[in-house]
Amino acid sequence: MHITRRALLTTVGGIAAAATLTSCAGTGGSSAGGGDPKNIRFMSNHPGKSQDLEQKIIDAFVAENPEYSVELIDGGSDYEELAQKFNAQLAGGDVPDIVVASDVTWFPLALNEAITPMDELWSSGKVDSDDYVDTLREDYVFEGKHYGLPYSRSTPLFYFNSELWEKAGLDGAPTTWDEFDEMAAKLLKDNPDVAPLVVPDGSNYLDWYFQGMIWTFGGSYSKEWDMAFTDDKSLEAGRFLAEQVNKGHIKITADPTNEFGTGLAGALLESTGSLGGLKEQAAIEFDTAYLPGPKPGCPTGGAGLAITNKIDDERKASAMKFVEFATNQDNTVTFSQATGYMPVRKSALEHPDEQAYLKDEPRAQTAIDQLAENTQSQDYARCFLPGGGDRIGEGLDRITTGGEDVEKIFEELQKQSQEVYERDIEPKL
Amino acid sequence: MLTGNGTFLASPDVARQERRYSRAEVALAVALLLPNLVLLGIFTYRPLLDNIRLSFFSWNISSPQATFVGLQNYVEWVQRDDTVQILMNTAVFMGVAVFGSMALGLGLALLLDQKLFGRGVVRSLVFAPYVISGAAIGIAFQFVFDPTFGVVQDLLARVGVAAPNFYKHSGWAMFMITATYVWKNVGYVFVIYLAALQARRVDLDEAAEIDGTGQLRKFWRVTLPQLRPTTFFLSVTVMLNSLQVFDIINVMTRGGPYGTGTTTMVFQVYQETFVNQRAGYGATVATIMFLILLVITMVQVALQERGRRA
Repeated sequence: MHITRRALLTTVGGIAAAATLTSCAGTGGSSAGGGDPKNIRFMSNHPGKSQDLEQKIIDAFVAENPEYSVELIDGGSDYEELAQKFNAQLAGGDVPDIVVASDVTWFPLALNEAITPMDELWSSGKVDSDDYVDTLREDYVFEGKHYGLPYSRSTPLFYFNSELWEKAGLDGAPTTWDEFDEMAAKLLKDNPDVAPLVVPDGSNYLDWYFQGMIWTFGGSYSKEWDMAFTDDKSLEAGRFLAEQVNKGHIKITADPTNEFGTGLAGALLESTGSLGGLKEQAAIEFDTAYLPGPKPGCPTGGAGLAITNKIDDERKASAMKFVEFATNQDNTVTFSQATGYMPVRKSALEHPDEQAYLKDEPRAQTAIDQLAENTQSQDYARCFLPGGGDRIGEGLDRITTGGEDVEKIFEELQKQSQEVYERDIEPKL
Repeated sequence: MLTGNGTFLASPDVARQERRYSRAEVALAVALLLPNLVLLGIFTYRPLLDNIRLSFFSWNISSPQATFVGLQNYVEWVQRDDTVQILMNTAVFMGVAVFGSMALGLGLALLLDQKLFGRGVVRSLVFAPYVISGAAIGIAFQFVFDPTFGVVQDLLARVGVAAPNFYKHSGWAMFMITATYVWKNVGYVFVIYLAALQARRVDLDEAAEIDGTGQLRKFWRVTLPQLRPTTFFLSVTVMLNSLQVFDIINVMTRGGPYGTGTTTMVFQVYQETFVNQRAGYGATVATIMFLILLVITMVQVALQERGRRA
């Protein structure tokens, strides 16, 4: 038999077509049921440089429950990278049991049923959910169900260089942004080479820090699902931010913690999670304060622990057991003191070790007090819309370092956010 | 039929006859080709086809459900405001990467082809950055371009010049990432050119020297034409590699400043798929990028073929 080239090509073409049709089978979202329920897989980005600490918590859990093994999976360097890896694993089918889910990443996962509601697991696992700080626990509610438990929770803090403050004759941190304007002018006059306040840029959560400022002006990114970028008060806040940058009162930079720690800035807006690192590395004396008001002038943030939905019930129960252990009173105290994140359990605040620590380190107490007095849950446009933080961060970069018109950029944000809501969220609600 | 230069030119009848293969020949061809074709099919062509299929869907990557939307993603790509800028960024990055790497690589190869003291060590040093991961180089170069602590800032300050903020101006940010990539990539071009230079016909150079040809003319008229196949090979591979650069951009600028300041098509694929969770739209961008690359490569091949015949 002789085979012509045409016949050969036809055959190959047929195989290729068949491969195409076969590949139409799905999106890789098949169930990851099965697996050993005694082998728990925990994916984390180790918030607050906590990798060693997380391993110690795992070791303690295994020592207490020798029938279990726990694998710590590295999810990357930040919450976004971790969410991307988790999404890739969801598409592939090989998923971890527990995942760190941030204020921005948990909702899309819940909306797409990638993580499971925890309420029933709390009941069957005898988890004392009431012991978690109410504000932090309720941040994970969607359609009446809880999709996470607080873990590395934070708020932004106003860190300030005590020495510079004293030299300038300033009495404590500003309580309003107008007061900051006056203080910054004085600081800049005394120290022309030192930025009065450094704030991370749009690639490093400027959108999170600015959220507090926009609230103090009476504006917001959104009111639930109604976008509010173009409200007068929101625009006023945007103009204030741009003006402060133009005056040299605020410097927007990629690595503000380093600049503050080396004495190149008078103050810094950063997460409570940076307290541990600054204590170890800063070459200056510093103190912490609330973000300027009037209240609420500060968003909550950070991350919780969520359980994957694709695993079977037995694995979910095991995962819940570990989540409860990782955030129990003792571990909360240890984790919070080592990283600077807020204690997420009420009972942890009453622990003698924690009380002694807070007495010795009043800067950590600031975040706990601020949580009760100056915070509010975040706007949907930032934390529930896919890409919300990135989109707003980019817009804020454009009005600050880019010098673009506030009205124009906020109108774009309004339009883009509305489009994303209508395309990606509204049909699923 | 035997031509004047001794090559065999098949007549149409013979050529037609040659298109028929015996069963044994086909079996041998299949045995030799099948293992590689299977691997290529599984790891290259199936994902490619799957990607094309996904480009017709709206799919949130967290969700097990995807919705067929036809050509909607392609229409959106054409209509979106950022498409032109991202295409421009991609073209600029690719152009600078190809010309920069090749000019510098050729220059270094010509220099280190000479009998110079310590050239073996220098050759290794020039090649070393190519084998270092892009992410590591991206992090290291942040210390070079940092507007407050960077080497560039420090050097310029010594001569009284203020350094630009490489992270806050789109043009400077693009310069920063392309310069970093060229630095990483130049070792690859250098090694290939050096090998080609060492394999060239030295007698032609000697003949040109005896004829009194100047150095520049000799390079232009004698050396460079001999490097034409290597130049073609490098232009294709460097272009393809440069279009796939993700790590340096992700580490140094995350596609910014201002959202798309340094976003190339491959970075947009990542951004749309994993950050905005629109895997269908990400697949659309990837498919368009594939088609653009296919056309460019076909044009390059045609030009090379025409040059060879000429």
